[in-house]
Amino acid sequence: MRCLVIFGLIVGIFAAIVGYAYLVFTDLTRPLPKPDYNDNTYWGPGDGKNYVPDTKINEFKLNVPQAEIEDLRQQLNRTLKLTEPLDGIAFEYGFNTNALEQYVEYWREKYLTKWDERQAFLNSLKQYTTEIQGLKIHFIHERVSEEVATKKHVYPLLLLHGWPGSVREFYDFIPMLTKNQNISDYAFDVIAPSLVGFGWSDAATRVGFNAAEMATVMRNLMLRLGHKQFFVQGGDWGSIIGSNLATLYPENVLGYHSNMCVLSTPLSFLKGIYTNYFPQKVLVSRMFYDHHVPMWDKYLDLLKESGYFHIQATKPDTIGAALDTNPVGLAAYILEKFQTCSGPSLKQDFGGIATAFGLEAVLDNLMIYYLNNAATTAARFYAENVSKPYRDLQLDRVQTPVPMGCVRFRFDLPAASLWQLSDKYTNIKRNMYFQHGGHFAAMEMPSMLYNDFTAFVSNVYEE
Amino acid sequence: MPSVASTFVRILIGGLALLVAVGYKNYRDLGAPGKRPDLDNNAYWGPKLEGSYQEKKEISPYDISVAPEVIADLTAQLERPLKVQEPLEGIGFEYGFNAKELQRVVKYWRDSYLPKWNEREQFLKKLKHFQTEIQGLKIHFIHAKPKKAGGKKVVPLLLMHGWPGTVREFYDFIPLLTTGSDKSDYVFEVIAPSLPGYGWSQGAARPGLGVAQVSVVMRNLMLRLGFDKFLIQGGDWGSIIGSNLASLFPENVIGYHSNMCSNNSPMGSLRLLFSSFLPSFYIDSQYKEYYKGVSKMFLILMEEMGYAHIQATKPDTIGTALAHNPVGLAAYILEKFSTWTNPTYINLEDGGLTKHFNYDQLLDNVMIYYVTNSITTSQRLYAESMGSTQMALGVDSVPVKAPAGCTRFANEIFHVPDSVLANKFPNLVHSTHYPEGGHFPAFQVPQQLYEDYVAYVKKALG
Repeated sequence: MRCLVIFGLIVGIFAAIVGYAYLVFTDLTRPLPKPDYNDNTYWGPGDGKNYVPDTKINEFKLNVPQAEIEDLRQQLNRTLKLTEPLDGIAFEYGFNTNALEQYVEYWREKYLTKWDERQAFLNSLKQYTTEIQGLKIHFIHERVSEEVATKKHVYPLLLLHGWPGSVREFYDFIPMLTKNQNISDYAFDVIAPSLVGFGWSDAATRVGFNAAEMATVMRNLMLRLGHKQFFVQGGDWGSIIGSNLATLYPENVLGYHSNMCVLSTPLSFLKGIYTNYFPQKVLVSRMFYDHHVPMWDKYLDLLKESGYFHIQATKPDTIGAALDTNPVGLAAYILEKFQTCSGPSLKQDFGGIATAFGLEAVLDNLMIYYLNNAATTAARFYAENVSKPYRDLQLDRVQTPVPMGCVRFRFDLPAASLWQLSDKYTNIKRNMYFQHGGHFAAMEMPSMLYNDFTAFVSNVYEE
Repeated sequence: MPSVASTFVRILIGGLALLVAVGYKNYRDLGAPGKRPDLDNNAYWGPKLEGSYQEKKEISPYDISVAPEVIADLTAQLERPLKVQEPLEGIGFEYGFNAKELQRVVKYWRDSYLPKWNEREQFLKKLKHFQTEIQGLKIHFIHAKPKKAGGKKVVPLLLMHGWPGTVREFYDFIPLLTTGSDKSDYVFEVIAPSLPGYGWSQGAARPGLGVAQVSVVMRNLMLRLGFDKFLIQGGDWGSIIGSNLASLFPENVIGYHSNMCSNNSPMGSLRLLFSSFLPSFYIDSQYKEYYKGVSKMFLILMEEMGYAHIQATKPDTIGTALAHNPVGLAAYILEKFSTWTNPTYINLEDGGLTKHFNYDQLLDNVMIYYVTNSITTSQRLYAESMGSTQMALGVDSVPVKAPAGCTRFANEIFHVPDSVLANKFPNLVHSTHYPEGGHFPAFQVPQQLYEDYVAYVKKALG
């Protein structure tokens, strides 16, 4: 009799535990409602009580004073005794100083000598500035020609860069989008802004400018330009900002395409573990396995590469002070990411960056950070996005019906699977895997990105 | 029906008992002393040679004078318009080193400190500097002999700094150690080296010089100087290198004292976890504010260890960013002198830097990194020591046999209670707590550290 009672008690306790676990599980994994978001926060200096928005759109042309170029050349000419790499080491301990010396010499002797050419190239795409919520926003705006407009369906496209990128990443991509290409029925009016705190856009001077605020400013930029509905494409932060835009302002987004489809929720974490042990149950092709598993190896790789993320997310003003004052240091720090992302066969190769991206393009991008003194303000974006107010928004758990497309380049940061993405994106129109390419897709293989993006747009409109 | 229930209950109880027994045995095994790893006591760390290595055993005085061109270039750099971004509204040090404070530091450095550099250099030369070659590396050290021994017993003491410190931290501490006082029957002959890759000591030219290997170099240094048996004191890396030395060479170490005792063995980590959940079992209640628990430790790890993360993975990148970059170097190094001296200073616009230190002593420390161009090699120690190769040696599991002393200054980043240290320091004879002071006690409260140290020595040596 007593054994029966004990047995009953054990069953009862077990049932209570299971029930409780179920409650906790559903609470952590159910989709959350779209938050009410203030789309008009003032981000300029002061309190903005008497703020009258300036809606003018001004032309922008880069015109760096010669004195600045001379000063940079002088700084690059200081006799620096950089520490020799350890015996037998290439880039395993960070950016190889022997390689850096070669790049610095090229920057000083060849690149800066033809700076006028580079500046003209940067000016070859039409650029403007306008004021959104108190911040001056710089952007490229390239329109489809009248001739092309008669032959193609034309849509507005918001193109968003990340870190340590810039609008420079899109200089080969944009001309493809605005032209009359045989392989697509679509062409695009492209708007590619410098993110707030990056490039030639202003930075926020108060705490709180996170990826939700960035999405709001970018959406308001599109509205300012007369586009109530538009496509969004992005990688790195651009992907996250684009996702936030599609989540907070679904009425404005015709389609959201990402080349770094990441998702970070309790449910996606659990799904990731399951995928690690049973990839055959989750992924339709063996070719996709390497993109996602083995999970622990990918986490380890991420740990090795994310020191910059950790220090920028916690001490952005410290690392910023080290980089804003020093072009050689800035070069090592930023070029390291291009080096690592040049692909597994090139990332220990001294010529890796030149081979994968072209030296001019990488130095153009570096100049954009240097000229605008953007290291600190760009780093602060990381701190804002790990802060409690941003994490509490839990935007990754808010669903969006906006048509979504995901392309995964083989050597980029690990991306989410279709199974994971479906929790948030209820209308996935395209789900692609490429066996080549890396993090800086628009720079490294713009035609592949163009192919996938235009195919996504077709998918959005086919019945 | 009842017999099924009773059988089930019996099986369950039997299974649980088995689980507990197995678990307990594994727990006991985990805490057993580990095997001392084999290390090459003569490993060569210098640049590649044509022939075989011939170690030069001379000990020569070392001139730390800085070439005037270095000071001139530094001044020129500090005279450039400062490009740092204004801090966000209302922010102190929460986003890192506050730009307004950085402006003040740079101005002082350029207009007040550098013009009197000769004075500072003379001050640094007050202690005697030497150099000798150990395992292919030129090792710099201060050698301070007791002045007025006055009948006191003289004991050799190896004193080791950490990151971002230097021997400069010890300039007020060493004179106390070498001068007889009524607080102790002992005076000390102090050897304070620059760690390999720090200050005036050469950095390794090949990978692999982690804390265990550094402890071999330091032990060989002491042997070179004729000290077969010696005491050790250290904080930060000095603490870990010291405990490695004491674990690996018990025949040489007569006592180990640290202001940052740690136990990184599996048992230590496990006990630390337990101590968070059951503090009353592990922590003396009168000191419970000193011990923050695992969840707070995790927060501190996230908030404060960005520098360690990047240094452990990309030391050459961050090193290059700071090399020949005085403004960046000052921000990067002095940020630690704010937050690690007292974590609440993070809310102050000036980071509380001058609450306990003056700019002269802080800049002396930064200057040593700057003029020796040692920031990159100093950061490589993190990459070499925090990887799986170093962990695989298992030195963490080898106990320190010598009498040990652990002192805790309240505002240090993180403390470990005695119960958690037990399997690493089975001979813990001295354990103290002080409500003042932080991560740099020799720099901040040298008198307090001295009094604690000699109280420990009395227990350790009698």
